[in-house]
Amino acid sequence: MDEYAIGVLTNIGLFSFVALSAWLLLVAGELSFGQQAFFGVGAYAAGICTTMLGWPLPLAALAAMALGAAAAALVGLPTLRLRGLYFAMATLAAAEMLRILFELFHWQIALGDDRIGPDGTQGFRGIRWMFERGIEPLDFLAIVWILLVGVVVIFLRIENSRLGATVRALGHDPELARSAGIDVDRLKLGVVAAGGALAALGGALFAHHNTYIEPRNFDIMLGVHSLAYGLIGGLGTVFGPLLGVALDIGVLEATRSLQGYRMIVFGGLVAVLLVFRPRGLLDERAVHWIKSRL
Amino acid sequence: MIDFLQNTLDGLALGASYALLALGFTLIFGVLRRANLAYGPAIMFGCYCATWAYLKTGLGLLALALIAMVGSMLAGVYVERLCFAPHRKGAAAAAMVASFALWMQFEELATLALPRHLYAFPALYEGGPLSLGRLGLRIESLVMLVAAILVGTALWGILYRSRFGTAVRAVIDSPAAAELSGINVSAVSLRVFALASAIGGLTGFLIVSGNEQVTPMLGMWSTLKGMLAMMLGGLGSLPGAIAGGVALGLIEAHSQWYLGPQLRDFIAYLLLFILLAFRPPWMNTRSAY
Repeated sequence: MDEYAIGVLTNIGLFSFVALSAWLLLVAGELSFGQQAFFGVGAYAAGICTTMLGWPLPLAALAAMALGAAAAALVGLPTLRLRGLYFAMATLAAAEMLRILFELFHWQIALGDDRIGPDGTQGFRGIRWMFERGIEPLDFLAIVWILLVGVVVIFLRIENSRLGATVRALGHDPELARSAGIDVDRLKLGVVAAGGALAALGGALFAHHNTYIEPRNFDIMLGVHSLAYGLIGGLGTVFGPLLGVALDIGVLEATRSLQGYRMIVFGGLVAVLLVFRPRGLLDERAVHWIKSRL
Repeated sequence: MIDFLQNTLDGLALGASYALLALGFTLIFGVLRRANLAYGPAIMFGCYCATWAYLKTGLGLLALALIAMVGSMLAGVYVERLCFAPHRKGAAAAAMVASFALWMQFEELATLALPRHLYAFPALYEGGPLSLGRLGLRIESLVMLVAAILVGTALWGILYRSRFGTAVRAVIDSPAAAELSGINVSAVSLRVFALASAIGGLTGFLIVSGNEQVTPMLGMWSTLKGMLAMMLGGLGSLPGAIAGGVALGLIEAHSQWYLGPQLRDFIAYLLLFILLAFRPPWMNTRSAY
């Protein structure tokens, strides 16, 4: 495989994590404009762990996930009762606050002749764990996709379980779910925390793929894109957000078709698609239809 | 003390522009119960039309203001027809994401037409600031304040003294009941979008001619500031939108002076987060997207 294809496939994998985390909240009935912040928390945390504390990447990724879940729960706790636009704006406010905190975050240590660590708006460079270990891009691609497949398998198992049905019930109508005896607050907090952990895992891998991160990577654009991926691909299955990412990054960017007009065509197509399929290409009905024929 | 007064004055002028943005947002929100993410980008599109016309023909300020308003209005109508008219019943998330998709379109259109990151825009006023004792007031700020008062008054007149206004208020109150009493809700929604976007275009023109420059960032900036001011004001009432805008302007001016620009934004978001978490009584509690 040539380098360019590897890069594109890796990016599809990396952004699938944050798209999945936004999709998870959509399925639970909430719009989050803030998943990019937990992606950022994961990126910074894992970067600090491997470069400054000398931890191995797997351990750093676990720490990043824990921190992402904690940050998401911290945002989720005071906003549990908010719905719709209120929840979306609260998550946006929290995410922008976190981004500004990244801009104010200076913590550097001397490493050889270099100073390494987050340097405010200058970003955080030299996250070189992969290079120092001699891990080739193709190996990294495999790591990303194995983790992604693992996440998808977990989601597929949950989908067919009682937990999956409960989350869909919450997304369908929280009042109805509450009256059916579901502990809505606890479930929502769990979903929010899981979304945070998932986004943070993506961020941890993203930081090590790019070797350089800066606060601007985690602005609202990434948040709204992640949300859009789930809605384009479809809310009916875990493959929906992956399809959304693949359509955007894979088909349009990789083929370099429509150079210069990409967003005009893509934006228009998305708006028209949503007129006919407001819950995405692979919505619940499409998934049901496919399943009945398998 | 003089600093405090000067900051308050600057904050009021900044707040006037936020109030205007929040008015447009609130009109749209009131009628549709949906947030239009493409509102700011539509304004940016109008301002880019004006910039383009200025570069090609060197038109005067009045003509440019008109072009900005018409450009924003056309963009707003396009957004309404493609993103909001098809989703009037349910599918709020789809409407919001569709408006984001069109935001991407406007941004790419703007950068295709005028590819540099920054363009000069003719100044609204060439002279220096007005001096009031030891305080200074920029003429541009004064124009913005006057514009906010005029637009607010005109809007009040339209909403409370015209047939169209009655229809709009009926739709805000209950779209279903309005439909039953023979109001064409779709037409009202389209006209409200056109009106709100024209107000946005005027605001955008005043902002870029005050700053004497235009960048594609204007789109995201307007959407964020407008939504923030709208939410601070309690979501869904026009006086609230004005109060929210002025409050945001004052908070930003003071926190910028004492704490710097990064913490200025931080404090605005923190305030919004706290308000949302605790939901004071003036915040609208109707469920909404």
